[in-house]
Amino acid sequence: MNLKGLLNSTTIADRILLFILILLSLSGIIFIKEVLPKGHIVWIEVNGHPVYLLPIEKDRIVSVNGSEGNTIVEIKNHKVRITESPCDNKLCIQQGWIEKGSIVCLPNRVVVIVGTPEDELNKRVDAITG
Amino acid sequence: MKNKFNVHPPQRTKFNVLIFIFLLFTVHYSLFTLYGCASQKENVYRKSKILMDTLVTITVVSSSKDSAEKAIDTAFSEIEKLEKLFNFFSPESELSLINKNAGISEVKVSQDTLDILDKTLYVSEKTEGAFDATIGPVITLYDFYKKVKPEDSSIKKKLSLVNYRYLMIDRNKSTAFLKKRGMHIDLGGISKGYAADKAVETLKRNRIHSGLVSVAGDIKAFGLKPDGRPWKIGIRNPRAKGQEDDIMATIELTDTAISTSGDYERSFINDGKRYHHLLNPRTGYPAEGCQSVSIITKECAFTDAFATGIFILGPEKGIKTLEKMGFDGVIVDSQGKVHTTPHIRGKVEFKRSS
Repeated sequence: MNLKGLLNSTTIADRILLFILILLSLSGIIFIKEVLPKGHIVWIEVNGHPVYLLPIEKDRIVSVNGSEGNTIVEIKNHKVRITESPCDNKLCIQQGWIEKGSIVCLPNRVVVIVGTPEDELNKRVDAITG
Repeated sequence: MKNKFNVHPPQRTKFNVLIFIFLLFTVHYSLFTLYGCASQKENVYRKSKILMDTLVTITVVSSSKDSAEKAIDTAFSEIEKLEKLFNFFSPESELSLINKNAGISEVKVSQDTLDILDKTLYVSEKTEGAFDATIGPVITLYDFYKKVKPEDSSIKKKLSLVNYRYLMIDRNKSTAFLKKRGMHIDLGGISKGYAADKAVETLKRNRIHSGLVSVAGDIKAFGLKPDGRPWKIGIRNPRAKGQEDDIMATIELTDTAISTSGDYERSFINDGKRYHHLLNPRTGYPAEGCQSVSIITKECAFTDAFATGIFILGPEKGIKTLEKMGFDGVIVDSQGKVHTTPHIRGKVEFKRSS
């Protein structure tokens, strides 16, 4: 039986069923998109002030102006690392690639955090008293 | 004919198909409504307005922008209403009427004015008069904008007019009366907190189940954020350099209020001495002993007024009073040392940088 024959042999009920199945699968896609967590972001702060908010999906290299000079942050394959830093101990560079968590360069006051946007919201305060 | 023969069976199939389609639609529809419920995502809406001579920010959690904004606007008008009643500078306010008739006659006032006066008397009693709303005649001698320190003699003269015991309120007749001529009530130390309480009540009446009202540093939180966490409040570092929001500690709150009184708020330095607005009602001079006092309890009117009262009492007496009241508190004394009530340890997260 060829495709035309197959289509001809369907009843209205079959077609409605097919249509409904397509609808169901589409709504499933929307459902998953809404419910599953969104991708991680790379949050870069200098002296406690956010300077970059980058998606981890896009590979790039950014230069961050810290209190001692420029820190170079590289994002590649959903991972982040510091490649250059003006600090003495270079601990931040030694830490290498991270997928989650943070890299802190205390001398240059640069903080790189990888997390979901919701995590970042929790870090900030909702109001200040005083 | 063949057709005639088959009349009955197709009709039955048709009927079955209809049922089948109906069932499918029911299943599909219920799936969609279920998804609809799940997708009614709650968002955080925030609006600010200048009221009571300060910045009022209201944050609410709601699934609809319209109802969120409506609730916030209703809460703003509630605060505006209170501002009209309690304004020290407006001659038409109920407060001004009481002040004008000091030593002359009692004044009929609204429920809100009665309530707030009742609360000021309560806090005055509990702080042994350290918080005193009748400080009006002395505080007006100071000019914090022109940085003018009053003469010692004029402070002494006005000090006899400061005594909360001369404020009489009659709940049955809904009246208030200041016994001595020249007395003045200043509700600046409690009205912002009271307004925050009322704003939260208004939001709840408008079916908001979670939110945050901050009238300057007087903050009241209720419910939880959309992520299920309590509201996070930062406590300002009293010796922050510059105007930046330098925070010394954070605390998570729900269904609780917090207020902070600091010597940095309305103040000036004269001859190396800091003059601020938290005056000791006994001396008429700025209280010494604390840099900042933060109070945490259910009612924002109390956190506001007690923050002032405890500041004036000083760190040692202050902590004792808070323990007696069952309130939580963080006090930074004049040496920069931090004092806390026992229950608060673990709830407050201090930052190492300060």
